[in-house]
Amino acid sequence: MKRNVFSTNKVQLLIFLLPAFLIVLLFYIIPIIITVYVSFTPMRNWNIDKYFNVIVGLQNYNRLFSLITRDPVARQVVVNTIVFVAITLVINVLGGLGLALANFFIDERVSTGFRTLWLLPRMTPIAVYGLLWYYFFHGSNIGMLNSIAMSLGLIKKPIAWGQEVIPWGPWSIIIIVNGFVGVSFGMVIFYSALKSIPRELIIAARVDGASNWKLTTNILIPLLRWHLLFVTTWQLLSLLTTYAHTFLLVEWGVVSRTYGQTWALYVFNTAFGRGEQDQGLAAAAAVILVIFGAILGWITVRALGFNKMITKPKGDI
Amino acid sequence: MVSVRLEKVTKKFGKVVAVNNVDLEIEEGEFMALLGPSGSGKSTLLYLIAGIYKPTSGKIFFDDHDVTNLPPRERNVGLVFQNYALYPHMKVYDNIAFPLKIKKVPKEEIRRKVFEVAKLLRIEHLLDRYPGQLSGGQQQRVAIARALVKEPQVLLLDEPLSNLDALLRVSVRSELKRLQKNLGITAIYVTHDQAEAMALADRIAIINEGVIQQVDLPEVVYNRPKNMFVGGFIGNPPMNFVEAGVEYNETVKLIVGEDSVWLPQEYIEILRKLKLQKVVLGFRPEDVLVLKDESQVEPGSSVIRGEIFTVEPMGREVLLTIMIGETMVKVYAPPTQYYSMGDKVFLQINPAKLRLFDPDTTIALEYLVKT
Repeated sequence: MKRNVFSTNKVQLLIFLLPAFLIVLLFYIIPIIITVYVSFTPMRNWNIDKYFNVIVGLQNYNRLFSLITRDPVARQVVVNTIVFVAITLVINVLGGLGLALANFFIDERVSTGFRTLWLLPRMTPIAVYGLLWYYFFHGSNIGMLNSIAMSLGLIKKPIAWGQEVIPWGPWSIIIIVNGFVGVSFGMVIFYSALKSIPRELIIAARVDGASNWKLTTNILIPLLRWHLLFVTTWQLLSLLTTYAHTFLLVEWGVVSRTYGQTWALYVFNTAFGRGEQDQGLAAAAAVILVIFGAILGWITVRALGFNKMITKPKGDI
Repeated sequence: MVSVRLEKVTKKFGKVVAVNNVDLEIEEGEFMALLGPSGSGKSTLLYLIAGIYKPTSGKIFFDDHDVTNLPPRERNVGLVFQNYALYPHMKVYDNIAFPLKIKKVPKEEIRRKVFEVAKLLRIEHLLDRYPGQLSGGQQQRVAIARALVKEPQVLLLDEPLSNLDALLRVSVRSELKRLQKNLGITAIYVTHDQAEAMALADRIAIINEGVIQQVDLPEVVYNRPKNMFVGGFIGNPPMNFVEAGVEYNETVKLIVGEDSVWLPQEYIEILRKLKLQKVVLGFRPEDVLVLKDESQVEPGSSVIRGEIFTVEPMGREVLLTIMIGETMVKVYAPPTQYYSMGDKVFLQINPAKLRLFDPDTTIALEYLVKT
């Protein structure tokens, strides 16, 4: 008697897939559905009984659009996001690449300690890490930056960098704080990629006469193309949606709310922040963010030629 | 083209001595094989010559020019690897052109030289492809082209044929030899394959545990191995070794089990000088006559008795494994005879081809006398 191999396999397949599927369903698919749904309701102050069954169509989206076009604060959120994401992305990718290359060329024993140092911001709890920067940029003379600048005679009295130096003060602070966390990601990915390049390739380039610089530009960076694409896309998407560090900096008054608030933080503040909470509007803003993220992600992948990398070889092998 | 000279070169990695006090001279235009088992230090030696490693002590000369402290790019050597090491993101043309681009050679000249070397290696039609679109043999040609395009002073090859399949290996091998002779380039070739070394090289340097064992012409290395390691490494199957006692009377003869083996005059004189009580008798599988019947033994010749352990027909000949007492030896016999396991046989060793070694130092007796 023949056993039906396929049906047993399907059952086994389901059993193995079920736990992962449940997690994805519970924490990913259902929240997306709820968010999209809520963006079509006038939900506010978590009054679920009153608003959950009321559908207002695109009203939230219209409100969001008119806020962006007319409200200077909302418009500033868009500008903040563009500046923050663009500059931090460049810092994260190029900084990560630079650190990885530096690690690659220095002695292994030294570089291990060096890499650990750069991983510290990522290993430190967000609140503790935020607190360090809080004291660093503090607007009074207890702020480290202020006391250094004052003792060097660069400034006469303390400056509240994140509140007074508009807009580059708050922008610089959120970029620096997030940048220090972000570079280590690129560094780890690029460094391990560099380490996995066959030793012979590097020896060959050296014998061919390449200096460190030529080796980097002609061999190493081209071979990191795939990793550059990955890190760029990944960092772009995570910068668009990150808000934890920025939230603390704004709440603690290190940076101004107007110039420090990015779109992701705006979504959070609108839904959970002080005063009136407007979940409908927040959900609409979140949906727009996700759509933008998807489009930008797709553009990066296209621009960096992902499809070229997965075409099959056509030679005789 | 230059000659390469290594003087007392030692390379240590931490506590590991990879290359130990090596003296070696490769003449201009010579094809030298560095032959040894894996981990013997032969690749390290090659990388020392390329300048990838700096010797812990000792000096390296190209002609009379001391290059010990020069980085690879100032030595002008070509290096070919086992895994080809082509730059995967560059087309074949750019791979070959790379060393010239680095040297800032004018574009037109690069073009001319790349086409020239591509023609030499018959890869002109592949210039527009990526390495991933080539077969192993084609990739290795590209790698050789890249090494040759800069007209190196020395061509270094690190097991270049090991990744090719057996048939291709033999054809690329003979091509490589022609190429080297036509260009008259000094070449150093690292391999663990003794057949490759024998086929290609003008001279072979056998290296083991970082120490050069013997540097000689292929036929000398094969016929007169300096020690048991060389004898046991070269040849397929390698040299057989059987322990033997020595009997000194009016003549000198070996005693293996109950059998006596007559020696050629050369060895009689050497043994009278050295007065060894025990030696190791070495002989190649093809230097033995396998006789099935005592009546076949010519009067006056000496034979060793043994018993057939396995029979492996190879087509052109039969490979027999024979037990002599507790020792196993391998010998070739013509396929015209029928052999089976358990047969008692008589081995008649060609006296001109047998070698004797000192069991303590493993050095061949004739070399012991010389030094």
